[in-house]
Amino acid sequence: LNGGGSNLCRRFCGLKLWILKSLNRRQGNNRKHQPVNELTTHSKHTFLSDDERGFAEETRAEDLRPEENILGTDLNDGFHNVGDLPPVSKQLSDDLSDVRRRASLCIAVVGATGELARGKIFPALFALYYSGYLPEDVAIFGVSRKNLTDEDLRSIIASTLTCRVDHQENCGGKMDAFQSRTYYINGGYNNRDGMSRLAERMKQIEGESEANRIFYLSVPQEALVDVACTIGDNAQAPRGWTRIIVEKPFGFNSHSSHQLTKSLLSKFEEKQIYRIDHMLGRNLIENLTVLRFSNLVFEPLWNRTYIRNIQVIISESIAQTEKFSDGYGIIRDIVHSHILQTIALLAMEPPISLDGEDIRNEKVKVLRSIRKIDPRDVILGQYKSSSRDKNGVILNGVDPTYCAAALYIDNARWDGVPFLVRVGTGLIKHRVEIHVQFRHVPGNLYRENIGINIDLGTNELILRDEPDEAILVKINNKVPGLGLQLDASELNLLYKDRYKTEVPDSYEHLIHDVIDGDNHLFMRSDEVAAAWNILSPVLEEIDKHHTAPELYEFGGRGPVAAYYLWAKHGVPWADD
Amino acid sequence: FFAEKHSQLDTSNGCATNFASLQDSGDQLTEEHVTKGESTLSITVVGASGDLAKKKIFPALFALFYEGCLPQDFSVFGYARTKLTHEELRDMISSTLTCRIDQREKCGDKMEQFLKRCFYHSGQYNSEEDFAELNKKLKEKEAGKISNRLYYLSIPPNIFVDVVRCASLRASSENGWTRVIVEKPFGRDSESSGELTRCLKQYLTEEQIFRIDHYLGKELVENLSVLRFSNLVFEPLWSRNYIRNVQLIFSEDFGTEGRGGYFDQYGIIRDIMQNHLLQILALFAMETPVSLDAEDIRSEKVKVLRSMKPLRLEDVVVGQYKGHNKGGKTYPGYTDDPTVPNHSLTPTFAAAAMFINNARWDGVPFLMKAGKALHTRGAEIRVQFRHVPGNLYKKSFATNLDNATNELVIRVQPDEGIYLRINNKVPGLGMRLDRSDLNLLYRSRYPREIPDAYERLLLDAIEGERRLFIRSDELDAAWDLFTPALKELEEKKIIPELYPYGSRGPVGAHYLASKYNVRWGDLGEA
Repeated sequence: LNGGGSNLCRRFCGLKLWILKSLNRRQGNNRKHQPVNELTTHSKHTFLSDDERGFAEETRAEDLRPEENILGTDLNDGFHNVGDLPPVSKQLSDDLSDVRRRASLCIAVVGATGELARGKIFPALFALYYSGYLPEDVAIFGVSRKNLTDEDLRSIIASTLTCRVDHQENCGGKMDAFQSRTYYINGGYNNRDGMSRLAERMKQIEGESEANRIFYLSVPQEALVDVACTIGDNAQAPRGWTRIIVEKPFGFNSHSSHQLTKSLLSKFEEKQIYRIDHMLGRNLIENLTVLRFSNLVFEPLWNRTYIRNIQVIISESIAQTEKFSDGYGIIRDIVHSHILQTIALLAMEPPISLDGEDIRNEKVKVLRSIRKIDPRDVILGQYKSSSRDKNGVILNGVDPTYCAAALYIDNARWDGVPFLVRVGTGLIKHRVEIHVQFRHVPGNLYRENIGINIDLGTNELILRDEPDEAILVKINNKVPGLGLQLDASELNLLYKDRYKTEVPDSYEHLIHDVIDGDNHLFMRSDEVAAAWNILSPVLEEIDKHHTAPELYEFGGRGPVAAYYLWAKHGVPWADD
Repeated sequence: FFAEKHSQLDTSNGCATNFASLQDSGDQLTEEHVTKGESTLSITVVGASGDLAKKKIFPALFALFYEGCLPQDFSVFGYARTKLTHEELRDMISSTLTCRIDQREKCGDKMEQFLKRCFYHSGQYNSEEDFAELNKKLKEKEAGKISNRLYYLSIPPNIFVDVVRCASLRASSENGWTRVIVEKPFGRDSESSGELTRCLKQYLTEEQIFRIDHYLGKELVENLSVLRFSNLVFEPLWSRNYIRNVQLIFSEDFGTEGRGGYFDQYGIIRDIMQNHLLQILALFAMETPVSLDAEDIRSEKVKVLRSMKPLRLEDVVVGQYKGHNKGGKTYPGYTDDPTVPNHSLTPTFAAAAMFINNARWDGVPFLMKAGKALHTRGAEIRVQFRHVPGNLYKKSFATNLDNATNELVIRVQPDEGIYLRINNKVPGLGMRLDRSDLNLLYRSRYPREIPDAYERLLLDAIEGERRLFIRSDELDAAWDLFTPALKELEEKKIIPELYPYGSRGPVGAHYLASKYNVRWGDLGEA
C-alpha cells in the first residue's frame, strides 16, 4: 500500500505540472477517468457562511502545503514522468477548477418558456444568485423554440422572482443585476443549429477563461434524447466541466429507461448526469442521513429487531394537487423516484463517507435488495372528477392518482419489516411524513395500564415535512396524578419554534448541489434501473390487464382498499 | 375513542382504581376481607403542632379527602405535647388548607367537613399511659368496626423509638392493620441506622414500617420506571454499550437561614445524597422487576445497591458556602448562621462518583451532585450517551465530539419534563448540524396541578403500596455505601472547599467529573 501511495503521489505531482503547462492549450473533450482521492477531497467544499468561510480557506491553505512539499521534493521525478502520463480527464479539470474557484459559470435552461422554468427554475437560480451562491459573472440562458429577445425573456421571468422575507436588502438591485445577466437563445426546430448558437453565445461571454456549464433540460420526455445528444455534441464546455440536469420520470418503464440511459451515456459520462426529482430537495430528506448517522440513540434501534414497520406518506390535499406528467400516473411519476429514494436513504447501511458516490453505492444496494412488488400488494385509486372540480384536470382513463403499496427489503437488517407507502393527490389532508413504528416492549410491566389496544402503547418516530416540519418521538409516560395511568406523549422538535428563517425551495437546494458537484440526492443509472426492476411486475400487470383504479371522492380519504392492505400486513393506519 | 379516553380520565380523578388495587394487593391477610363499608381509618399525626405537620401533612390529608381518596369512615388525630383543644387544632391547620386551582367547587364545604373529623390529643411521646388514652379516643371513633391505624411520626429521630414502643403496645389496632410512617434521616451511618431498625422491629414488623423520603414522591420518579419499562425505544439503549455517564443533580439556591441546627448534625450527604439521590439511582439502574409489586421493585433496587462499591474519599468533593456580595446585596456564609457552630466543617455541597459493578453498568460513572446556596434550584437526571462510532458527520461538528453526543434529561423540578437532545440538520442550503431538543414539558401537556409529594405518599401508605418507601435491607445497603467515606471525612476533619453563595459550587466538582472524562450537563446551559 505504501508503494502504491508513493506512486500515486508522484503521478499526481507530475499530473499537476502537466496541467499547468497545458493551461494555454485547448483540449477536446476527453472522457477517460482518472480518480485521485486528494482532488475529490478538495472538491467537497460547501458554501459557508461569511464567518465560516475564512476558517475553511485557512484549512484549504493548510491542505495545500503538503502538496507543495511533494512538488518540491519530487520535482525531477515529476519532469521525468510528464511524458508518460495520460491526458488529463475532464473530472480532474472539473475538480481543480473548483479548488481555485476562478472558473465562470453558464447555466442554460432549455424549455425556458415552460411553466416549470418560469415558476421554479428561474426563481431558484435568482435565490441562489441573491444569496451569493453563484459567481458574480454567471450567465443565465433561456432556450426555447419561440421567437423572443433577451428583454422578452427578462420580462417573462421578472414576475416570478422574489426575495426571501429574511433577505430584503437591496432586492431591486439584485434583481436588475440578475436579469441583466440573463439571455435568450432561440433553439429553433433544428436542435443542432440551436445548440450551436447557444454554444457560440456562451463562448462570447466566457471569453478565453475557464468556464463550467450546466444545462437544465426542462423539456418533454420525447424531446429529451435529441436535446441532450445535441448538447453533448455541440455545447460542452471546452475548458471546464459540463453537467446536465434531467427531470423525472426517467423513462416509461425498464426498457425505455434503459434506452434513455444508453443514449445519454453515449454523449456524457455518468458523473455529468444529474437526474432530478425536486421532492428530494426537501429538508426532511437531508435530515434522514443526519438523524440516522449522527445520533447514537437511533443507531441500535434501526433494524428489524426493534422496528415493526415504516410508513412513507405523501398526501396532497385539494388545494395542493400537483399535475402529473401526462400518461405516466403516480407510480412512474412519484413512486419510482421519490418514494424509492426515500426508502433507500432510510434503510441503507452506513456509507464509507458522505461523498455522493459512496452514498449512492449504499442506496443502490438497498434498491437491489428490495423484493419485486407483488401486484396483490398494490392499491391504485383515482379521484372522481365532478363538475365542481376547479382544477379542471382531465385524467387519462386509467391513470392512478393514488397508490398504496407494501415493499420488503430482503436483507439481514430489514427482512420481514414492511415498508408501506401511501401517495395520493386530491385528498382531504396535506401531509408529507415518515412514520417509524416500533415493536411492543417484550414482557411489558405496564400491559395492564396500557389497555386492550396494545398498539397504542408502542413507540413511534415521526419525521414530518408538511404541515409544519417537525421531529417527534412518541413515548409512554405516566399521567400526573395519584393513580397510575399511562399516556402516549410526544417528545417533539417543532421547526417553526426553533428556526425562524425561511426554508429554501427544494429546486434551489438541488441546483445548489449540482453547482457544488454533490450528487448524492440525484439518481445514478444503476439506481434508476434497480428501481424500475422493483416496479416491473405491477406496471406490466396494469398495462396488460388495463387494471382500473378504485375511485374515491375528490377531497376524500382515498380508496378504501388501502385500509385492507395495511390490515393484511398487520400495520395500524398512521393517522392523527 | 375520545369517550373512552374521557372516561379514563374521570376514573383517574376519582381514584376508584386505587381502592381496587387495595383489594388486589394481598399484602396482608386481613386486607383481603376489608370492604369500604366495614372498616375505618384512623390517622394520627404525632408531632401535630410542628411546622411540617401544619404545612405539609394536614394539607396533604385534606387534598386526599377532597379527591375522594380517603375511606368513608376516617378520623384524623393530632398528637403532641402541646395542650390544645380540638377547636384550636382546627384553627391552626385551617390556615394552611387549600383547594387545587382546578377543583374549586365546594371548597368551603369540603374544608368544613374535613375539619370536623380532626381531633387532638395531648400527651408525652414516651408515655404509655398517654397513648392508652389516645387508644380510647380512637376506639370511640371506630365504633366497633374493623380499625386500620396509621401513625405519621413528624418528630425528631431521637424519639422515634419511644413513640413506636408506646403506640405499638398501647394503641395498635386489634382487628386491622397498624402502620407507621417515619421520615428521614434514618440514622447517621450503618451502625446507628441498624440500631434504629433493630429497635423499631422489636415492636413492628417490616411490613408495618414505611420509611419516607418525600422527594421520592415526585411524579417523575415513578415516571422513571414507566419511561424505562414501557418504551421500546429506550430498552436497547439502557446499558454501558450506549450510555457514557449518568448525572444525578440536586441544587438549591438558598442556604440554611436559621434552620441550621438540624442540618449541621447531618450535612448534605446524609440529607440528600445518601437517600434521595441514591434511591433515584437504584430506580434508574435496576433490572426489570418481575412485576409492579412493591416487593419485586424493591428487590431489584437492593440488587443494584448491593452491586455497588462503597464510596471512596478520593471520589468525593465537599464544599461549604461562604458569604458573598453581589449587586449591592450581601449573602451570608454557612457559619454566619447563628444556629450553626462557628467552626463547623459540615458540607453544604457534595459531589461523588459511584460505580455499579454488574454486567449492565460496569465502568459507567454515576455522578451525584447536591448543594445548597447554589445559582439555581432544580433536580434532574442527565443521561449522556456515547459517541456515534465512525460518525460520518464528524467534520460538521466542532473539534469536540463530546458536544455532539445525545443526551436524555429527566427534569424533576422546576418545570417537570423530559427531553432528548439530538443532532439535526439546520434547514437551508449546505450541511450544518445543530443540537435540538425533542421535549415534553408537563406544564403544557398537563395543565392540571400535580399533587404534592406528601399527598402521594400518604395515599400509598393508606393503601399499603410500598413501592416508593424504603425497605430495611435497602437502607442497610445504602448506608454501607456511604458510611466509610462519611467516617473518614469526620475523623480526618476534612475541610470543605469554600464557594460563594449563589455560585456554581466548588471548583473541585469539575476536577472530579474531569477525572472520569465527564462534563456536568447542567452547568453548560445556565
